Amino acid sequence: MPIAHGVAAGMGGIRTAGDLVARMQLARKMRLPEAKAYVADKLKISVADLSEVTVMREIREDLDIGVITSVPGCAKGIEAKIRIAELLDISINSVDRLKSKMG
Amino acid sequence: MTEQELLEAAAKAVVAADEDEAKAIATEAVKLGLDPLKVINEGFTPGMRDVGDLFERGTMFLPEVILASEAMVAAVAILEDSLPEDQKEKKAGTAVIGTIEGDVHDIGKGIVATLMRVYGFDVVDLGRDVPLDTFVEKVKETGAAIVGTSALMTTTMVGQKALEKMLKEAGIRDQVKTMVGGAVVTQYWADKIGADAYAENAQEAVQKALELVQG
Amino acid sequence: MTKYPTRMGDGHVIDMTADELKADLIAGSADAADRGRIPPLKDDEIDFLLDLFKSNARVVGVDQGNEVVLTHDIGTLRLDGDQGNSGVGIPLSRLQGVQVHERAFAADTMELGHVDYSWKPVKPIIAQEQQALENILLSTIVPMFYGAMPNLGTYYAPDGPFGNPSDLLPMGKIKEAREAQERAVEHATRDIVYICGKLAEVGADGVNFDTTGAAGDADFKASLQAIEQLKAKHPNLAIQVGMAGEFVLGIHGALEYDGTRLAGLYPHEQVGLVEKAGADIFGPVVNTNTSKSMAWNLARAVTFVKAVTAVANIPVHVNMGMGVGGSPVFETPPIDSVSRASVAMVQIARVDGL
Repeated sequence: MPIAHGVAAGMGGIRTAGDLVARMQLARKMRLPEAKAYVADKLKISVADLSEVTVMREIREDLDIGVITSVPGCAKGIEAKIRIAELLDISINSVDRLKSKMG
Repeated sequence: MTEQELLEAAAKAVVAADEDEAKAIATEAVKLGLDPLKVINEGFTPGMRDVGDLFERGTMFLPEVILASEAMVAAVAILEDSLPEDQKEKKAGTAVIGTIEGDVHDIGKGIVATLMRVYGFDVVDLGRDVPLDTFVEKVKETGAAIVGTSALMTTTMVGQKALEKMLKEAGIRDQVKTMVGGAVVTQYWADKIGADAYAENAQEAVQKALELVQG
Repeated sequence: MTKYPTRMGDGHVIDMTADELKADLIAGSADAADRGRIPPLKDDEIDFLLDLFKSNARVVGVDQGNEVVLTHDIGTLRLDGDQGNSGVGIPLSRLQGVQVHERAFAADTMELGHVDYSWKPVKPIIAQEQQALENILLSTIVPMFYGAMPNLGTYYAPDGPFGNPSDLLPMGKIKEAREAQERAVEHATRDIVYICGKLAEVGADGVNFDTTGAAGDADFKASLQAIEQLKAKHPNLAIQVGMAGEFVLGIHGALEYDGTRLAGLYPHEQVGLVEKAGADIFGPVVNTNTSKSMAWNLARAVTFVKAVTAVANIPVHVNMGMGVGGSPVFETPPIDSVSRASVAMVQIARVDGL
């Protein structure tokens, strides 16, 4: 069922900017239009392009914030989240925790 | 107070869960020589029906339903006292009810049991996580008119189908009506397994139970 | 007259004419408006839904640019679950389950959960859950929730220390039933705050209170209290509240939060209290009636949810699983119904997520 919802209405996760828009809902309680506008502004693209895989694949590779396919050397896991926190100017709890442990 | 006013006041007293008022109205009806059965059936019972509707819409809550039922029972007792023995209200029948073994969800089932008591059933609530054998034994023991089972998981709803078979094997399927409910249960499922009734909610369950026992 | 294939609330196929569909759409919306004392759908919104139901498309979708965020309650259990919880029973680790969702299903967010999926049993195994979450947080990118149900039922006999209202109320023991619920509220609040605090310590992005209110108004009260206390201690821990039913069942009947009686609150009334407690995302629920058509159910669900988004100040992620949000009560809901429900919730109710 989640696949059906994803096909019908989903943003597309790390194929596109789904995780980034979700981050703004979690971090700042932003309603969808505000969250999308915020992320689009940070990425310097249009709101429509947030769900456009051809645009977002290139941006995610360029910014090294993780892509959906397996690519050697491309950021995975917390490495990607460290860059996402900086990109979106938000706190990500697991990133903060890692940094505090590393001093 | 005219008869019509009294009937309306009876319904209102039940909805307000006001036992003192309900008893006072019942006493007044007896004093005025009104037909006790008419006062029950056209006064207090419609009030209880309203209570069920209000509960189903989320504007009346379970403790209030219990109090309303107590008001109704107290008033009916007064009215019944004035009836000849052969005209006294008969119980709707015995209903054995429970949640299928393996399933611990009992809130909805408890609400159905409560409303069925309110509507005059002798309810034997077996609780939750009830072995299928226990349903069969209790039906035999009580001579129940209805056995109602609840299942909220697809793994436990199959127990409702198994119970149909077990009741047949015990030779008592023709003596008891089966009702099924629970979040995953549908009319389609009830039809498929041969259950006698399915209901969407507690209020509908009571109405269908009454229809089953009244034929 | 042309008939269009559609479904009943239990998922089975029926055929309806355009007039029949429209009549059900209007009736479903009117039922929600009547119960919730909210506006019914407008004529153009009914027409939009009618076109959805008349469409021959197997799958429909939102207009490009209108995509929404998906959160996933039940989490990895849908993959590894094999105990009748709608899981498909694939023996994956939970870490693998999250990675599959992130990289194969393109999930926007993901959730870790314990197989029982209630908060209470997590307490004695919290160290295991913390470490499972730590591993996941290191190797995944999408926001991670930890999800469980407040499930106050686990605090009542025979599973818990307090009397069971389901036993006490039919005996007329209203006072005792209420006291049991009040004590369970305090106990559950303490447990949930403890568990979620431990999850926050290891870096959880958020926690999900799933099927809140399932055990009635006490369940909702415990959740709101726990959220308030958690936000005071862990302001960066995002909290999502998903409801159990379309109105809060009054098993206690007199419990209040912030001066508002909880029993009987409908979704548009619930969201304000959820916000007040400090939650970040609200997931309203509207139940599906299996005896009515999908047209009736979807119009009704959209009417309720539209009233929520009209007043919400936090993102609204409507629950769209089996038997809620206009989806049929069928364990593997038909894709035509699910996609139509998605579109209606996004384009008419203007939800922020599913």
